Amino acid sequence: MEKAQPLPPQKSNSFSSSSREEKLRESNRSLSFGAIKLEDRHQKKETDYNREDRIKEGKEINADEKQEEKEEATKENFQEAEPNFIAISEEIDHFLAILVSLQDAQFQISEPPELPESNIETFIAMLEMEIATYESGEQKWSPDHDEICLLDAFNRLHKLTSALTPLSSNAKYNHAMNRTGSALHHAMAFLEDEFFSLLDENSRAKQQDPGSASSKTKRPPSFSRPQQQPQQQHEQDRCILPSAESSTHEDSPTYPPDVVERLRGIAAAMISAGYVTECSEVFAVARHNAFYAGLSSLGFEKIGIDDVQKMAWDSLEGEIATWIRAFRHSITVSFPSERELFDIVFSGHQEIANSLFSDLALRAVFQLLNFAEAVAMTKRSTEKLFKMLDIYESLRDLMPTIDAILSVEANEEEESASSPAMDLKSEISAIRSRLGEAAVAIFCDLETSIKTDTGKTPVPGGAVHPLTRYVMNYLKYACEYKNTLEQIFRDYQRSERPSSYDDDGDDAPSDSTSNHENKENNNNADDPNPFAEQLMEVMELLHANLESKSKLYKDQALCNIFLMNNGRYIMKKIKGAAEINELLGDAWCRKRSSDLRQYHKNYQRETWSKVLACFRDGGLNVKGNVSKPVLKERFKSFNAMFDEILKTQSSWVVSDEQLQSELRVSISAVVVPAYRSFLGRYSQYLDPGRQTEKYIKFGADDLENYIDELFDGNPSSMARRRT
Amino acid sequence: MPAIEYQGSSAPYSLIGRSILSIRRDQVHAMDTGHHYDAGLDQELDAFQRRVAVLFQDLAASDGGDELLSISWVRKLLDTFLGCQEEFCVILFNHRAAVGRPPLDRMIADFFERSVKALDVCNAIRDGIDHFRQWRKHLEIVLVALADPRQQRRGTLGEGQLRRARKSLTDLTLLMLDEKDAAGCVLSNRNRSFGRSSGSSSRDHHQHHRSSGGHFRSLSWSVSRSWSAARQLQAIAGNLAAPRGHEVVATSGLAVGVFTMSSVLLFVMWALVAAIPCQDRGLGIHFSVPRSYPWAAPILSLHERIVEESKKKDRKNSSGLLKEIQQIEKCTHHLTELMDAIKFPVTEEKEAGIRHWLEELAQVCESMKGGLDPLERQVREVFHRIVRSRTEGLDCLSHNPE
Repeated sequence: MEKAQPLPPQKSNSFSSSSREEKLRESNRSLSFGAIKLEDRHQKKETDYNREDRIKEGKEINADEKQEEKEEATKENFQEAEPNFIAISEEIDHFLAILVSLQDAQFQISEPPELPESNIETFIAMLEMEIATYESGEQKWSPDHDEICLLDAFNRLHKLTSALTPLSSNAKYNHAMNRTGSALHHAMAFLEDEFFSLLDENSRAKQQDPGSASSKTKRPPSFSRPQQQPQQQHEQDRCILPSAESSTHEDSPTYPPDVVERLRGIAAAMISAGYVTECSEVFAVARHNAFYAGLSSLGFEKIGIDDVQKMAWDSLEGEIATWIRAFRHSITVSFPSERELFDIVFSGHQEIANSLFSDLALRAVFQLLNFAEAVAMTKRSTEKLFKMLDIYESLRDLMPTIDAILSVEANEEEESASSPAMDLKSEISAIRSRLGEAAVAIFCDLETSIKTDTGKTPVPGGAVHPLTRYVMNYLKYACEYKNTLEQIFRDYQRSERPSSYDDDGDDAPSDSTSNHENKENNNNADDPNPFAEQLMEVMELLHANLESKSKLYKDQALCNIFLMNNGRYIMKKIKGAAEINELLGDAWCRKRSSDLRQYHKNYQRETWSKVLACFRDGGLNVKGNVSKPVLKERFKSFNAMFDEILKTQSSWVVSDEQLQSELRVSISAVVVPAYRSFLGRYSQYLDPGRQTEKYIKFGADDLENYIDELFDGNPSSMARRRT
Repeated sequence: MPAIEYQGSSAPYSLIGRSILSIRRDQVHAMDTGHHYDAGLDQELDAFQRRVAVLFQDLAASDGGDELLSISWVRKLLDTFLGCQEEFCVILFNHRAAVGRPPLDRMIADFFERSVKALDVCNAIRDGIDHFRQWRKHLEIVLVALADPRQQRRGTLGEGQLRRARKSLTDLTLLMLDEKDAAGCVLSNRNRSFGRSSGSSSRDHHQHHRSSGGHFRSLSWSVSRSWSAARQLQAIAGNLAAPRGHEVVATSGLAVGVFTMSSVLLFVMWALVAAIPCQDRGLGIHFSVPRSYPWAAPILSLHERIVEESKKKDRKNSSGLLKEIQQIEKCTHHLTELMDAIKFPVTEEKEAGIRHWLEELAQVCESMKGGLDPLERQVREVFHRIVRSRTEGLDCLSHNPE
């Protein structure tokens, strides 16, 4: 801990070169490490004795005694000191009143009133001692350990210093001014430290084990007062409180109310003593760092833009989800609670609160936006669309809240066009339009992936092509973002067209983005919907691609099954997603349904019309008699055909159960009755027994059963059944 | 000096998200032939290189108000970058058909990769500017604390005032050191204000405890802990070499343009890192440009001068080479010495000595006040320009109109 570090140059500070004895007391504070410590103490002891004549007995015993004695001394000290302190404070107030009245009266003060030197000295010494107790870490300054109302005393000290200053041409006054002034500075430095540690420890305690925070406050009470017992009781109660609070209040408030109240008190004291910059600076740094600690506790880590570009998509996907959470949380939870904190701590100083808060918020939002920017810049690929849209939506949805937080709207007129808040606003809309561009490009890339999917291998059994599944699932997912995509496409079109056709390309993207709320409302039929157009385009491309893929099948029937399968899959997906359905419109759906019916008809014709031809009466009757050889030929060819169909088409795939059963039912409905009646009319002409067995291989009911085996993708079913 | 007029300086933010090229679209329309061979190309490239040379000569000649490495010089540097970038974009746009053809496509992609790395530098620099602002607050405290009593109906300089100023200077020195040593070790020894009445040793102990979480009261950096400006510069510089003869021929000379712009990018980022505090600065990049390029001389001379500056004794340990930082350090040093030697009551002579440095400090403060905000906006503008031109360039690469 106390390594021999090279001390920075300023360590040789202090006014110790002064020979004055008061100065000795304060000398070489910074050198009080390690070996020098003893010497330092020794020095102090001496100084304390030098002061003896001025300060009442019993005061300085405490300063440099051994540790065990120290506390005892403090008690004694304050038992005596307290009443005195009040009396002395009153006398100082009295003296202040005299000075003020003299100044008010504008008297040319030839001879300033006599200085109550010893009172001032005692007052300062007591304050210094009180501060020292807290600074030493022996005791924590808190409302329960503030017998002399430190803040009031500091205020008095400040007034005293200000009142003495104009009279400082008088040597005695000058001396007193220096005494009170440096004591005031010490007091302020003390407050600054207290302020920071209150801010720092309490916010840190929130993220750590709540127990550890409470143990810190557990100290034996060191003021021996008549009411010591209750006080101790109180102290112990208090120890429990913080831990209970920090575990129950997860997200708000930032600090427990008593801490906020103390922060407010310290801020007020520092500001009234003119230490406003110190106070705001400490506060700003503490809250800034706490905010980032908060972000990282939400899982958000600072990642460079370059690193985002290199990141694997699955990790980046996770980071995006985290970012969205962190962003939302910051805007909707952290900022409002910060705002509240700033307002309370700096109550009565609204301007300070405003400027500190907007600094924090602006910096934080800019930092958060950086990640969104980085994602928008990543190499475009289809899988990124949805996450980009998520980011886009977060930015869009939170924009009004951000506006409200930074009161952009309220100040818009007075703010110049280049205020940081306006910069932020245009930055957000710039990122949105970049994300939008990326989304449009990615979505339009779907066209390319469809066009380039030109594989020459047909899917076995005419099943749904992977491309169809991919495109439809992608579209279905995309259409969950329908409104956003419509907005993005409109904005994009608007930003593209004017710049390519207009010479006056002066419309910033912020214009176009700020209008879309209106646009969305009057989204009527004649308003062009570029997203719907793009979607339609994709559907047409898919359709064309599938048609050309169907030509890969040599069997026309299978080609139709393939088209039917894919068409049905598409229709089903569309019916299942109201958004796509709406975008494509009823007419489109009707058209595709009729296509599907046509495929079905084509299939029936291709496969079954030849089969049905076997059952024709024509050609069977020769001169009024049934020609047996022809009949036998008919049965033979029917059997062969049906056999062949069973063999091939049971291996075809129709995975959509409804379509499968529709197909089977429609086949049965055509084939089975025709066969049944054919049997009814002609089976009698075959000799019963061997001949019948040879030519009539299927009963009408068997036929139905066999038809029910078609399209289940199982080629060997027929063979199995036969054996 | 020739004025550098880039569109953004008047209204930088209104242009974000809009095509840079569209600004120039009308003027380039006529040239937009898309032919592989373009007689005007040689001329265009020559003009571009000459323009870059002139801009950097101007930058190198800076004196007076734009003293090397002052805030206003850095601003001019950024203007120069924006100027070069814009011209470069126009050339690319004019010959966008060639952009998609190998080997130029690879060179362009390479250039954009470097630019993305530059974006992180821009962010780090912006962060550094934020830190700089924090330092200014401390200077303001000094100025407020020691405000001339004669103007405020007050008496002579009091001890309290001096202590306040002295403490602020100490804090400032620590902050400025802190930028350099990321480790907070020095902070464990810090003595926030001198002249405490008692209990100082345990006080220090207490403070060490308080600051054990790392940086005491400095802003956290907005880049990740492991990020390093030095490494980022190395990455930007990686494999940057002047195109060979056959590459120049194969790209109709465009490779020269790409190399020029890459060098400008590298130099500007390097100079920013040299000037402004940021995490893990380091200036040791290999920077070699054949002297035959017209712009090589001014850039190399600037490079040399900045390196020299960084080697000066009093600058070696600085958190940035910015002139204003040096001035702050100088004022801080003198004020600290004067204050430490002071006896009460303060003699007029001593007070006058302090006042002298205070005036200088006030001037630095003023120039920071006026310079930091525009500087930050410019850094941001550079950022947006890079993003924009990259997006458009990549579009050119992927949708190559053949």
